Amino acid sequence: MSLIKYIFRRVLIIIPELFGALTLTFILSRLMPGNPAVALLVSRGIPKPNPNIIAQMEHELGLDLPIIIQYFRYLGELFTGQWGESVVIVRQMPVWDLILQFLPFTADLAIFSIIIASYIGIKIGVISATHRNKARDTIFRFFALVGVSVPIFFMGMLLQYLLGYVIPIFPTASYKSIEYKSPPRVTGFYMIDSLISGKLYLVADYLVHLALPIFCLAFVTLAGIVRQTRSSMLEILEQDYIRTARAKGCKEKDVIHSHALKNALIPTVTIIGLNVAGLLTGAVLTETTFGIYGLGRLLVDSINLTDYWVLNGVVFLMTLIYLCANLFTDVIYAILDPRIRY
Amino acid sequence: MQEYQLEIEEIDQKKERSLQKIFKWFLKNIKFLLIPGSRIEELSRREIEYEKNRSQRKFIRRLKSVLTISGLIIIFIIITLAVFPQWISPFSYDHITGIHPSAWGRPNAINILGRTAQGRDVFGRLVFGARTSLTIALPSIAISVMGGVVLGVLAAYYRGWLDSIIMRVSDVIFAFPGLVLALVIIKIWGARIEYILLVWGLLGIPFYARLIRGNVLQARALPYVAAAKVAGAGNWRIMFRHILPNTIQPIIISFTFDIGGVILGLAALSYLGLGDASLVEWGNDISFARGNLYTAPWASLWPGFMILVTVLGFMLVGDGLRDALDPRLKNI
Repeated sequence: MSLIKYIFRRVLIIIPELFGALTLTFILSRLMPGNPAVALLVSRGIPKPNPNIIAQMEHELGLDLPIIIQYFRYLGELFTGQWGESVVIVRQMPVWDLILQFLPFTADLAIFSIIIASYIGIKIGVISATHRNKARDTIFRFFALVGVSVPIFFMGMLLQYLLGYVIPIFPTASYKSIEYKSPPRVTGFYMIDSLISGKLYLVADYLVHLALPIFCLAFVTLAGIVRQTRSSMLEILEQDYIRTARAKGCKEKDVIHSHALKNALIPTVTIIGLNVAGLLTGAVLTETTFGIYGLGRLLVDSINLTDYWVLNGVVFLMTLIYLCANLFTDVIYAILDPRIRY
Repeated sequence: MQEYQLEIEEIDQKKERSLQKIFKWFLKNIKFLLIPGSRIEELSRREIEYEKNRSQRKFIRRLKSVLTISGLIIIFIIITLAVFPQWISPFSYDHITGIHPSAWGRPNAINILGRTAQGRDVFGRLVFGARTSLTIALPSIAISVMGGVVLGVLAAYYRGWLDSIIMRVSDVIFAFPGLVLALVIIKIWGARIEYILLVWGLLGIPFYARLIRGNVLQARALPYVAAAKVAGAGNWRIMFRHILPNTIQPIIISFTFDIGGVILGLAALSYLGLGDASLVEWGNDISFARGNLYTAPWASLWPGFMILVTVLGFMLVGDGLRDALDPRLKNI
């Protein structure tokens, strides 16, 4: 079937998946201990609310309605943008503003890591496949295997110790040095704001601070990409059409890049898509190790501190990102390989 | 008299001739007789057995690469640590969970890798932690694999609405991040490792269901399934005695990779401080000693290294299995 029909069907499939995930989230957030009404009242400045006020706030929030109506209210509020306000993390701050404070750091980490990891990973995967079982291949395979099995916090801590303490090259925590002030907020992204304000030392400072976390994330992502690229390249290099291309007199460079790599990239794109989704939904461990407060850290804190509306908003956003990344991956897959359009 | 003599001569000549015949046959066939098992019936039977074992022997020969053997050695060491910790660690379990003086002791002759915040021996905690990791990872994977295989085979064999329902529900569960679910469960029911284990087991079911579903979809179109049906086999018998053994191969490979993944996930949960803090576990050690990374790096870096080595062992074996079972390389 045509590409448009495939995209249409794929987008249609997202809707029940999204509703399923939201239903699960609703059930879980209702099971969490604590009364959202009480938490909201406490955050608004009433430390010990009496039962009348609690009942009034519950009526306002709709917590005394039947559970089905609460479910539909929950869905309505999520989709119309009324995500409530935070009650513990930053009191009385709207959830969307809170998320926008921390999302840019996660986005920066994710974007830099994915670009570096994809570019280097595909190159290394091709080299590893074309020089199979030689010294280069064995070394790359070993590093890829280590990258897949290393716990990312251990790697972060090791780098902090070796490159931040023993040989003090890199700073070990946070995204900026304490003595520098943040640039005035235009977009929310630290690098863009620093460039706009003209203070280039802030950009350099930011990049040096993010170097270690990006290295950790890129290393782990790169390992998966190298393994997948190598395995699919090996499978393709055995095919008859590669032999035909060589027999026709194609340069080896063209054979590998124009013929083999194009087809080998298809499963690799799936892996990259999954990794983008995973990185964008917050690399909690890296953010905890390096003290960068991003989306993953916000999620963990909102669960621990039972910040009800922040939790709903963040999980909704993460589910949306995850499903969109999967959709994007499937569409690219269908564009690259016309046989896949079921 | 003459007749007797004639007969005796004839018999003698016959004997001579038969002796000569035997002798000549022997000389002619000696090159075949020297091959062990060269008699014709035995040869065909041995041929059959030789062919049957050939694929097994090739598999074992391909499995014998350096990396896979080192992976197996690593796994063997970890299992030994898990089963016999009290004989390998110089300090007892009570020491590992007690409080002693000389906190953050440097590595010396008695404490090979130093001491932690509560004066516990780091090496001892590494050894006892192996048991925790394995006993949590293995049941979780077992739940995933068994549930996933059963659901996948059912969905692919019956097709129709059963297939659609199982696949759609799988997609929804698959999309849910495991860490979030584990955190919420910890919040609701407390940091009980059994619940986290169960949740991760259930979350892994869609992955295996999808994996085996593809293979079963291909297998059910093959002639042997039709032959089994004609022979009168019931549906369950066909599914689990005919199709399943032929499609289990990617499950075995994914299973070894997944053990590494669950160990990493468990360590991550403990590192964030959200696991059971009373367990002797590598992630717990890292989270306790994280604040003193620069003054006492041995307390947090060695547990991390153990996690790396354990997961590396499982990944090496998984890689080796995958390369050995690769059908395209059957002639190498």
